[in-house]
Amino acid sequence: MSDALLAQAVAALRTVGLNYAFVLDMGERSAFLRGLGVTLQLCLLTIPCSLAAGVLIAAALTSGRAWLAKPARAFVEVTRNTPTLVQLYCAFLVLNMLITQHVKLPGGNPLTPFVWVVIVVSLHKGVFHAEALRAGIEAVPRVTLEAARSLGFSQRQLLSRVELPLALRFALPSLVNNLVDLVKMTAVASAIAVGDVTYESIMIWTQRDNVLELLLLILIFFGLLTWLVSLAGRWLEERLRMPGYGQ
Amino acid sequence: MASEIALSRPRHVMRAASDTPAWRRPWALVAWAVLALLAFWVATGTTPVAFVHLWKWSPALLRGLLANIEISVLAMALGTLAGLVVGALSLSPLRVLRVVTRWYVQVFRNAPVLVLIYFTTYVFPFELHLVSWTFPFPDWIKVVLGLALPASANVAEIFRGAIQSIPSAQWEAAQSLAFRRSEIFRLIVLPQCLRRMLPPWMNLYASITMSTALASLVGVHDVVDTAQIASNTVARTDFTILVYFTLLGLFFAYCYPIARATRALERRHDRH
Repeated sequence: MSDALLAQAVAALRTVGLNYAFVLDMGERSAFLRGLGVTLQLCLLTIPCSLAAGVLIAAALTSGRAWLAKPARAFVEVTRNTPTLVQLYCAFLVLNMLITQHVKLPGGNPLTPFVWVVIVVSLHKGVFHAEALRAGIEAVPRVTLEAARSLGFSQRQLLSRVELPLALRFALPSLVNNLVDLVKMTAVASAIAVGDVTYESIMIWTQRDNVLELLLLILIFFGLLTWLVSLAGRWLEERLRMPGYGQ
Repeated sequence: MASEIALSRPRHVMRAASDTPAWRRPWALVAWAVLALLAFWVATGTTPVAFVHLWKWSPALLRGLLANIEISVLAMALGTLAGLVVGALSLSPLRVLRVVTRWYVQVFRNAPVLVLIYFTTYVFPFELHLVSWTFPFPDWIKVVLGLALPASANVAEIFRGAIQSIPSAQWEAAQSLAFRRSEIFRLIVLPQCLRRMLPPWMNLYASITMSTALASLVGVHDVVDTAQIASNTVARTDFTILVYFTLLGLFFAYCYPIARATRALERRHDRH
């Protein structure tokens, strides 16, 4: 039943010059759907990992200890000013090679290309999150902190009840912006043969020469994902809004 | 304008001078240490093999980097021209134009750059037929187009934001002083906009330069491609490590000064 519907849809699109015949092929259709799933998995894993990395790096940056802050700052500058693809190569082709050579585990190297993409993209976007969080922390007015201290908040309470909640709200718009970027960035996974939607599409279009059709699908898929992320961001901003702060 | 530059220069120099001990000295020390190490290696003939290979491959790597820079400059030039047009259209009083440009900006800002590069590489033909002549359509030009698309969408947003950041009271004030609409735009709004647009534009340029690394994935002989060829040809573990981290260093050496300059400009604007 659904196959017949699909065939009709393909025939209808063929009349406007778009060749989507690949969806009728069992193998290629499942490969494409698997690619969509892998991209989705990448996003769902990388978003929390990047946020965790961002919090850690921001903590190091604002710790006030030079031995922690200086290396963190150097890491931030290098990560911000080099291409993600080159970072991915440095991680996957160099570090992964070294690990494979030096670590002798029974199952071989446990780090797959997929894991490397998650690590590299998380750290890359974590740096941008850290900068946003740092700016948020610096935007918390000194007076507010002094007022809280005079009300008898301990250092820890001050951080968890006053400073971080306010910093998070200040940083939220740029964090959401970074996450939209992150979703787009997962497309580099195809460079090291992770079977994401871009990679599977390349596999299909080298067989069928239907580049335009697949690219339209990819663009729609990424458009959908980024739209969902910005929607979630707007919902969160709405929920976390505090009277008197922000618009 | 001229007097303003003359006034701001001593302040700038003074700040740079007070920054020098904190910033310049560690870098200078590192540079001296590297030079001393190189001199020692050359003098005693004990240069590690990986570095000898890197020296041999360095002309090829630099030529590759030049290709990246050419692509980024051309893409940015094209993107800026197209972006200014799109940005201007997005402010037009015609609703249709606003909707169309809105879509253009949304689509090309939200598409992954890699996908756009694949798009221009595979959708455009290998050759162009114009009347009776046939021109080759090389891959690197397609990459330029692929990068110019997101660049133009971002420039359009930067331009629109800059124009809208000028308070409308300035238009009204200028109108009451009998300036024509074109004069207001040319003499009052545009000079302020250019200044506000420069830092985000430089950020965009750095980001486009970093995206040129993706050109290697569609077969353009850029610096990343050269590094891969070098690492496969030499086939030594230590050289592979060295060449990929050199790659990282090359991009950093080109993009970091741009980032520093952008930040310095932003700081200067904050004070004005």
